[in-house]
Amino acid sequence: MTGVHQFVPALLPRDATGDHTLALRETFRSAGWESEIYVEAAHDELMDKATYFERYPERAEPGDILLYQLGTASPVADFLLSRPEPLVLDYHNVTPASFYEGWEDHTSEKVALARSQVAALAPLAVLGIADSAFNAAELRRLGCRTTAVVPILIGRDGWVDRVDERELSRLSADHGTATVLLFVGRISPNKAQHHLVEALWLYRRWYDPAARLHLVGPAVTASYVDAVFAFAAELGLEGAVRHGEHLTPAQLAAWYADADVFVCVSEHEGFCIPLLEAMESDLPVVAYSAGAVPETLGDAGILLDDKRPSLVASAVDRVHHDPVLADRLVAAGRGRLEQFGAAATRARFVEVLGALAAGRGVGG
Amino acid sequence: MAPIEPDPPVDPVDPADTGPAARARYLDEVMAEIDAEVRRRRASGDLPAGLERELDELFLEFSPVGLHGRARLRETLALVDGSAYVDTAVPVASQKAVGSYVKRLIRKAIGWYVGFIVHQIVKFAWSVSRMFHVVVDHVEGLEAAVESQRTPELPASAVPVADPGSSWWSGAAVDALAGVGGRVLHAECGNGALLDVLIAGGVDAYGVDPTESVIEPAIDRGLDVRAESVLGHLEVVADEALSGIVLSGSIQWLHPNERDRLEGLVTSRLAIDGVLILHSATPESWTAGSSHLVSDLAPGRPLHAGTWSHLLAQRGFRPTALLYGGEDRRLVQVAPSNADADAINAAIDVVNTLLLGPGEYLLVAVRER
Repeated sequence: MTGVHQFVPALLPRDATGDHTLALRETFRSAGWESEIYVEAAHDELMDKATYFERYPERAEPGDILLYQLGTASPVADFLLSRPEPLVLDYHNVTPASFYEGWEDHTSEKVALARSQVAALAPLAVLGIADSAFNAAELRRLGCRTTAVVPILIGRDGWVDRVDERELSRLSADHGTATVLLFVGRISPNKAQHHLVEALWLYRRWYDPAARLHLVGPAVTASYVDAVFAFAAELGLEGAVRHGEHLTPAQLAAWYADADVFVCVSEHEGFCIPLLEAMESDLPVVAYSAGAVPETLGDAGILLDDKRPSLVASAVDRVHHDPVLADRLVAAGRGRLEQFGAAATRARFVEVLGALAAGRGVGG
Repeated sequence: MAPIEPDPPVDPVDPADTGPAARARYLDEVMAEIDAEVRRRRASGDLPAGLERELDELFLEFSPVGLHGRARLRETLALVDGSAYVDTAVPVASQKAVGSYVKRLIRKAIGWYVGFIVHQIVKFAWSVSRMFHVVVDHVEGLEAAVESQRTPELPASAVPVADPGSSWWSGAAVDALAGVGGRVLHAECGNGALLDVLIAGGVDAYGVDPTESVIEPAIDRGLDVRAESVLGHLEVVADEALSGIVLSGSIQWLHPNERDRLEGLVTSRLAIDGVLILHSATPESWTAGSSHLVSDLAPGRPLHAGTWSHLLAQRGFRPTALLYGGEDRRLVQVAPSNADADAINAAIDVVNTLLLGPGEYLLVAVRER
């Protein structure tokens, strides 16, 4: 029996790509295929589930298919370029380098390298699997001949019901009845959190002088993080913009439960998992139409064609104070979630890889 | 702040109808009401023209690259200098009582080790900083040399005020945009006269213009007009969000670099099958028709219609119409009864072709890819 083996630069716990990779391994094994995970690095917690990619050649079997979880630069890409096995890319998108230029040049160089690796791998791949049509279009532009859109697997069923009540009480006590705008995602120039600060400033002037902005996510681009918070302080929002990171799933659920509106003004998103998390949390969404956001959100939120702070503030107020609208968005979100359900996604992965495997002799 | 009355709802969607079409129509109505709310805020003075641009510029002051990506070298260097010092006094505050004690103990225990490493890091950082100071001195010297050879900027008072709605081409623009489904941007829209005509024709149009004083009448009339440059505005518009774009005014004499940027932005922001309308002076009329200040100091020059057609075709546009109008300065031919009519008219034809001709043109193109 041969198999479908995954390659991933880093296998991390409580990480979207890590969760996706682990869930896929179980899916492939359930389909009767052999499936191992090969990594450049893995967290200690997951080391027993991974093997260093350099060891793959000694384990290779005829008919193997190699599936690369592609989202960052890695020597794994160069390794795969040299392999004769059929290559499948599972593309999670790489942020264009231009977003980091002037902010963090080493990150800019790293993502530029990652994009050059995508460009090198895409024409060689027998199949490109993409989280979104937006990502699939990028793969095709880079020379990938066959693509399929299959969402990322999110293996955290029921997380939203396990709210950390102490965290929720702490948040509620902190802001009282003030409106809370929430965004979840790393603090980074392409996520444009500074535009959320502008929208908050205007929202406080127009609608609720006590309103808060909660930003949850790792502070990865230090110069941008500093600029966002210095900017907020300059606008008199020092205590009104709060940052949460290193949260457990239950704490994250509390931040979602505490918020009134989820607001996303990202300029580049390959999928945007937090939109689904907001839907799971019954939180109405206001989002700027960029990258894959329109296809992930569908009609489960207010989609803005531009992100002037006045428009964002006005949309947030409308969603917050129009219960009929909020209910309809939340209901649409529940419907939307069904389309991204784990069972359907697993079946789709088996379907597209099964078709490929049939031609390659993979299967139980 | 006085509360602002919302518009009365028009043909509300039945809340019980939850089909996809009804949901889409409902969200369209909500979006229209959100847009209307912003317009009301603007008209009431809650949203002064240019405020949002000022917010963006204020944020850029906190970025390492400074305003519009142009590095303010001395300030950036000050950031480098400020970051070159590494503090070994790690904070020891803790939410737990014992935590602070443990942290202080660790800090003390490894202080000699951290101090040794940090000393080398700081030494390296200061070396790099000194190198940057030398580079900045050189760059500032170069800038001073280049500045002395720069063409002075066109005075704001000399820039012609856009008044496109009263022009000969507004009817053709409305015809070309009739029936487009989505939003249409007019840049530079001036007093909004063309927007009035477009909206009356059923087009969902809005405008931008960098000159705040010029757009005030449009704002007073309740039009959605923003005090922004077209480049600045298109930067924040989503890809393929617009169904039509009208370019007029000083866009025709943009610096070549900016024109190239504009072409890229227009292409990406316009939907497939979207309509682009471009109004420009002809190069022949440019020198004769403009003030000397404008023709001498403008950063660029108007292009021939054929050149624009070529540039747009390279971007995936298909030109569909080209109209000439404006002041026609061609010489009239002499009557055949004149004994020298043939020779004189041949000369007039040459002069008309090479030097004179219609003053303006309107180019319509559709984005195909």
